[in-house]
Amino acid sequence: MYLALFLSPWVLIYAISTMAMNHRAFFQKLYDGQIVMFEKERELTYAGTFPESAPPAAIAVQILSSLGMDGAHGARRIADGRIVIHRAHPVAPRRITLAPATGHLLIEKEVFRAPAFLERMHRRRGFQHDYALEDTWGVSVDTFIVAMIFWVLSGLWMWWEMRATWRLGILFAAGGIALFAFYLTTL
Amino acid sequence: MSFSHFNRRLHLYLALSLMPWFLMYGLSSIPFSHPKWMDAWFNDGAPMWTTRFDRSYDLAVPANADLKPIGARIVKDSGLEGAFGTYRNNEREVNVYMYSFWKSTRLTYFPRDKRLLAEDMRFRWDRFLTGMHARGGFEQPGTLHKAWAVTVDLVCVGFLVWIASGLIMWWQLRSARGWGWLALGGGTLLFAAFLWGL
Repeated sequence: MYLALFLSPWVLIYAISTMAMNHRAFFQKLYDGQIVMFEKERELTYAGTFPESAPPAAIAVQILSSLGMDGAHGARRIADGRIVIHRAHPVAPRRITLAPATGHLLIEKEVFRAPAFLERMHRRRGFQHDYALEDTWGVSVDTFIVAMIFWVLSGLWMWWEMRATWRLGILFAAGGIALFAFYLTTL
Repeated sequence: MSFSHFNRRLHLYLALSLMPWFLMYGLSSIPFSHPKWMDAWFNDGAPMWTTRFDRSYDLAVPANADLKPIGARIVKDSGLEGAFGTYRNNEREVNVYMYSFWKSTRLTYFPRDKRLLAEDMRFRWDRFLTGMHARGGFEQPGTLHKAWAVTVDLVCVGFLVWIASGLIMWWQLRSARGWGWLALGGGTLLFAAFLWGL
């Protein structure tokens, strides 16, 4: 019970986000096909320099540090040579675009939209970046996974302790298992 | 039957009915959370994809075309049937990914070379679980596909009812309120901290 109470925000976010993802087409229509949209936050000229052969990942770390935005991110060089950095954040992800030739830096913030926020939370795993907070989130997700498996097992045991519920319980459990098995064999 | 009795039974029987989904979502989250472990575990040197056929094929694909009918045409011309998604990562190819719980096939059409490649994915338990986990949506035609999507919605509603009925059961246990508040408050605070800081 206490584990469930502690993890109830995770249960809530995974349940609601699954529904949002299950109805992605509806939300895409609702937002004219643009669930993810960025708006300009600020522009500046970046004065720092990089070694000519610096990979996008190293450039991204330097830029994010200098902007005070260090954290989980991805970076790539696009066809015209610009570096695009995606700074992950549950509520307000940023897209930072650097034109190395001019030092022009464009910082854009993702417009908050509930379906995109929910999907981000659902997909965020942890253990992918060199940041302790990321790994802490990963540990919380792992705890949730263990809890789900534990709830199934402890729930079965608690049910078995209540003789009066055996018959109906078997009926409901068998119904669920039969439906699941049906999907497994046909889908 | 009192409300309290009804609530407890609802909590129990709902959980028993949806148990296969709870278990599946729980177990399948492990490979999502630790893909490197799974790759290390299952990597025995066998190729992930084996070629089913590689043949010449010609289909006009306009630059901004709706990919769904194009994917459907490629699937039909390949003599295959089933759920699929169509993607285009670059101008050089059109990718059609066909899937069932047990098998996956990818069709890659190269418009410049006028060539169609079909490959089957080897079976791996982690892929089987993640495939089930990710399955959903109402886009695929066919009653069964839609029935699965409706079931996914029902499982989500089940989770929400489970939270609500669980909170009511906790509240009715006066002696557990103190520790319960601590657990609920601690979890909520930690989650809020992740929202703010991640």
